[in-house]
Amino acid sequence: MGKATTARAWTDALLVRRLTVDPLGLGAIILVVGLLAVFVLFPVVRVLAQPGPAEWTRLLTDPRWLRLAGNTILIAALSTASAVMLGFLFAYATSRPDVPLRHLFKLIAILPLVSPPFVGGLAFILLFGRRGLITYSLLGLSGDIYGWHGLWMVQTLAFFPIAYLTLAGVLRRINPTLEYAAQDLGAHGFRLFRTVTLPLATPGVASAALLVGIYTLSDFGNPMLVGGAFKVLATETYTQVTGWGDLGMASALSAALLLPSLVLFALQRYWLEGRSYVTVTGKGSFADPLPTPGLLRWALFAGCGLVALVLLATYAVVFVGAFAKTWGVNWRPTLENFEYTVFRGRQLWNSIRFAGIAALGGSAFAVLAAFLIHRKRFPGRAMADFAAVLPAALPGTLIGVGYILAFNTPPLTLTGTGTIIVAAMLFRTIPVGYRAAVAGLSQIAPSIEEGAADLGARPLRTLWDVTLPLIRSAFTSALVFTFIRSMNTLSAVIFLVSPGNVVASASILALAEHGDWGQASAMAASLMSAVFLVLLLFRLLTGGRMRLFEL
Amino acid sequence: MPGSAHVRLENVVKRFGRVVAVAGVSLDISRRSLTTILGPSGCGKTTILRLIAGFLAPDEGDIQIDGASQRGLPPYLRKTSTVFQEYALFPHMSVSDNVAYGLRLRRLPRASVAEKVRHTLSLLKLDGLERRFPRELSGGQQQRVALARSLIVEPEVLLMDEPLSNLDAKLRVSVRTEIREIQQRVGITTLYVTHDQEEALAISDTIAVMREGRVMQVGSPRDIYERPADPFVAAFVGQVNLLRARVEEGGVRIGSLRLPVPPDSPHVEVGHEAILALRPEAIRIGAGSEGRDGLTGQVVSRTYLGTTVRYRIELAGQRLTVDDHDPAGKPLLEGPVVVSFDPTRIRLWPASPEMLQQMEEGP
Repeated sequence: MGKATTARAWTDALLVRRLTVDPLGLGAIILVVGLLAVFVLFPVVRVLAQPGPAEWTRLLTDPRWLRLAGNTILIAALSTASAVMLGFLFAYATSRPDVPLRHLFKLIAILPLVSPPFVGGLAFILLFGRRGLITYSLLGLSGDIYGWHGLWMVQTLAFFPIAYLTLAGVLRRINPTLEYAAQDLGAHGFRLFRTVTLPLATPGVASAALLVGIYTLSDFGNPMLVGGAFKVLATETYTQVTGWGDLGMASALSAALLLPSLVLFALQRYWLEGRSYVTVTGKGSFADPLPTPGLLRWALFAGCGLVALVLLATYAVVFVGAFAKTWGVNWRPTLENFEYTVFRGRQLWNSIRFAGIAALGGSAFAVLAAFLIHRKRFPGRAMADFAAVLPAALPGTLIGVGYILAFNTPPLTLTGTGTIIVAAMLFRTIPVGYRAAVAGLSQIAPSIEEGAADLGARPLRTLWDVTLPLIRSAFTSALVFTFIRSMNTLSAVIFLVSPGNVVASASILALAEHGDWGQASAMAASLMSAVFLVLLLFRLLTGGRMRLFEL
Repeated sequence: MPGSAHVRLENVVKRFGRVVAVAGVSLDISRRSLTTILGPSGCGKTTILRLIAGFLAPDEGDIQIDGASQRGLPPYLRKTSTVFQEYALFPHMSVSDNVAYGLRLRRLPRASVAEKVRHTLSLLKLDGLERRFPRELSGGQQQRVALARSLIVEPEVLLMDEPLSNLDAKLRVSVRTEIREIQQRVGITTLYVTHDQEEALAISDTIAVMREGRVMQVGSPRDIYERPADPFVAAFVGQVNLLRARVEEGGVRIGSLRLPVPPDSPHVEVGHEAILALRPEAIRIGAGSEGRDGLTGQVVSRTYLGTTVRYRIELAGQRLTVDDHDPAGKPLLEGPVVVSFDPTRIRLWPASPEMLQQMEEGP
């Protein structure tokens, strides 16, 4: 063993020595590894180290926490199951060549991805709440509809697009000839679907379920808005911090949420890998999918149409609410709701500013990290790779609590600044850009880079001339994605905002909690419009070459 | 009724938008025979296969199996089974599950499914591979599983869509022999689609040569090769030299050489131009520049291939390909040579402008 350790130390020393020849590369590596350690690993370690034995014991024995854990798992399981079903419906319908309006359905299915998840919760309150359009104004009911039923519906609509995107990719790549072969052998209708199509899509369904599970486990905004007395770990973490200032218990609760998230994440990433039946082969002789039987075609159309209408209704409700004087009481159109929130407030501008900085910095950082970790050899590479993908599995509340704990004291005192919000936005979305860049890099043989170096290009020059152009699409998609996610994020930043640094999403939650539905709607409508405008602008700037969400 | 038409296509037309993929095809496929549709890519041969399988419906005409029109019958009710070009094996099923799939759909008792699967797998020499998955098989094995999966449902008609195109050249020869043997042993009416003329010659009872949606000729491999119906068929099947000649009373003239017109040739007006088709093996060449029944040509290039030497020869302003099948011990020819033809192996057609243009472009 001693011998092996010595050999290891020697190779490490050699690697380090080779790196010293390239001081710029060495500096970049130290920067990337350092930032990942400080902003990803350190906060997680702080959260795990914070609770004392008393808090751990309470977490495991107090029936109150156990009930919360049960609630969290229940709502995550229910929402995931229904979201995956809806996602499959949309993916299957849009993969058929002959379902009416399928291109429109594709467009509508990605709306929830570019708008904040809690818009669904807000719309739900506007429709079914104490002053709800349907419950109060139309039916004259006054009762408490807050609870797990509504939360289930809201979460299903908020997160089915994630399942849809995963499954659409899987279904599109199933070789249509297989369905021809099954028909040729005597299968048709549901039997064909059950024996061939569904089994082929099963790995995709599992993958989609695990992904959606991570989101529904740790989502914060909707349980806060419509959960009512139905509390989950994420909302309780927030209550512990803001209500009781109990960071120890908040840490224990975040840690409890981390475990299932990590399990789902690991399953999705490592266990499902290589289990796909999707083959990337050349075009077969029977490339067009079979026509869909008439009844099924209209059933798919009806299902997607219904969901699309409900989705569009939620957005419509929020926009109408933004311009109504007092929701449910006085419907006079007005701009008053925008007065103090959007026109005079800085929240929306803060969101755009912070998300913009996080998007630019995060995409550049993700590409640089991918390049260094996958093209250079240095001790600790595997750890750096882990740190770069880990945030995908971290609940937002854990990041929020972790950042409070980690950056409240010197040497890095960031609490109360905008920087901490930008950092949370940036490092939360690192995995997306990082993975896209790694995928791009894996298509570039190192020999191309070596070729440039051979012709006399210095390392930075090689990166600039050869590598960057080849992973530019990874950069742009990370840029857009990080911006959207950061504009819409709530769970992490809610812990980090301070007077003067409030962002739109946090402000929407606060307004909704106070019952200021009109102002909350105005802010939400403005936030969504800002995201759409930036998307549109970006599309124009890139000449329509930008592809996002498979569109 | 061996020999009677098992599958009959009557004036079948299929259009895709403005493209006419099949332009009025009539074809009889005999019971227990192996019939090949041979043609270049895009000639409509795969479309015909898909029409018979029921994946497409003809715009005009009718398809009959055993005299019964197949109109409106979906693929899963037709007594046909297809072996797909890329095999289309179900990746989530083992070899035996793939093969058993069709029988399970027919709700056969478990024991008889198992027995039939065992029998079919052994017929195709796939014993021992039952538990494997398609991705664990070689190309040739996948091909045989696809064939087993089709044969086990005992279709009336087996349809094979370029089944060898995904195999490497050496395997192709052995697998096509195997396919032919199994087809004869099982005695199943088979329609086989290919663009490979050698494959078609090797395995078929009957070949239908297609071009641009039409059947140009139907016949035995020997008919097709030795008595092609037109220059296109002659050029598509095997090597051929197409020469322009002038028709005279009782013969044709190329340069100074006069050849008798073969007895079964189509009529060509005296004084008009004709096209002659000559297989490379129907031409003999020798050294020298004088010959009683030959023409003088010039060797342009030659390729030594071991068993053969292939010469390119310029002759009266036209180019010829000639094979010497017994080059051993002889010096290779160069310079002027005497070229003579076997008059019984000449095919002749009146020259149409279209044909002449095609000769310029080559096959």
